[in-house]
Amino acid sequence: MIQYIDMHAVLQQSVSSIYTDLVTRPTGRVVRERIEQAIAGRGETGGPGGAGEVTIARMDFTGVGCIDYSCADEIVAKLLRDRPAVLVLSGISEGHREAIEPVLTGHGLATLIERPDGTLDVLGAAGAAAVLLDELVARHFAARRPGGTYALTLA
Amino acid sequence: MTRLVEVPAQFDDRSFDQFAGAFAEANKDGERLLFDAHAAEWASPYGLVGLLAAGQAGRRGGSAGSADRPLLTVPTNPDVLSYWTRAGFFREAAELFEIHGKVPRAKAAEQSDVLLPVTPVRAAEDVHTVVSKIQQRASAILASELELDPKATMGFAMALSEACQNIVEHAGTGGWVAVQAYHWRRKLARRVVVIAVADAGVGFRHSLEPTQSKRFGDRWGDAAALEAALVQGVSRFRDPGRGQGLAGIRRYLVRWDGKIAIRSGTARIAIVPKWDEDVPLKDGLPPFPGAQVLIIIPEQGSTEP
Repeated sequence: MIQYIDMHAVLQQSVSSIYTDLVTRPTGRVVRERIEQAIAGRGETGGPGGAGEVTIARMDFTGVGCIDYSCADEIVAKLLRDRPAVLVLSGISEGHREAIEPVLTGHGLATLIERPDGTLDVLGAAGAAAVLLDELVARHFAARRPGGTYALTLA
Repeated sequence: MTRLVEVPAQFDDRSFDQFAGAFAEANKDGERLLFDAHAAEWASPYGLVGLLAAGQAGRRGGSAGSADRPLLTVPTNPDVLSYWTRAGFFREAAELFEIHGKVPRAKAAEQSDVLLPVTPVRAAEDVHTVVSKIQQRASAILASELELDPKATMGFAMALSEACQNIVEHAGTGGWVAVQAYHWRRKLARRVVVIAVADAGVGFRHSLEPTQSKRFGDRWGDAAALEAALVQGVSRFRDPGRGQGLAGIRRYLVRWDGKIAIRSGTARIAIVPKWDEDVPLKDGLPPFPGAQVLIIIPEQGSTEP
């Protein structure tokens, strides 16, 4: 099951409805805690994301203006380290990517980006990215498409 | 008794050490300070935020009472006065100094090279405000006038955010940021965007001392602290994700051929691009409290000096 997380909405609920940028450590911390609560809450319901089942969290960055390195570390890197879910980032701009990629590479971490056409791209350390993609394919969360690209198998 | 601190006629990062020397000399016996800017002909954003930091550090007695505030004589040149007003300097200076001289009333925001007037940074909310403002104001200028790839404007906001967070997380006090675009005849004969950030807080050495001083041993000091922070990406926090900010700024500047210089205490470190002749590290400078950060991004294209 894929859990949808609207990053812009989480930001506005966490900090202020007037902000569109994911900047500063304190903001990143509050946003990450909200995401962790959302993921944990889903597990506790006993629903499709319940006991024993891995949650895939699709974090949609549409509407987020800027993300700085501190927030990229505080949100994406820490979520990846703690592994409450498999993260798939969507709505990612080139600017978002510029902040997130070096932070993940520095930690030896990787995540997936879902392009608008549904194909997956990896972001972060090359070794970790290959392992992640292999794991998702082995667990049937992602599949290889004709042409060599990958896509999630779940909606 | 009042001690005089002359504000250099051309007040920027190059003349800052002269200013810091005068400040250190005048500040040592606790007498009230008079900052004399009457002969100022020009001040960069770095000069303006640095002057505010000096005003903050020069306050006596810890109260907001007027006798505790240093004095400031304003520039006599009306053009200079007008620019300092437009740059938002006096709005902040009014709280820090007892101002002598007539200050023109600030006009409503107008189109100018001041991309971000002198703005206080005390908390994370201020960084949000700064980033939000700069994106509205600077995107078009960065793309059209500096010929930066539009993708670079978000990186610019990131760099600005991280530079401001340095105050919030490490200074132990508030500080100021200003951003301006101007034609830099002295070095490049082309346009540049300059970010200047200053505070009069604890500085890099004090901030990093508990976690880093042992590692450096006898070498420990302001220069070693700056080197640890900017070159090695070290942070005072043990969290492995810390230290991303300055490292991220460095990456951004390497990509766009920019420069960063940080002065703290008695040292100054710089990542020097080819077009500049600055030195990478200076030690033994006149002491000045806190940290002062200068970031310069030049118009793209050939940047041969």
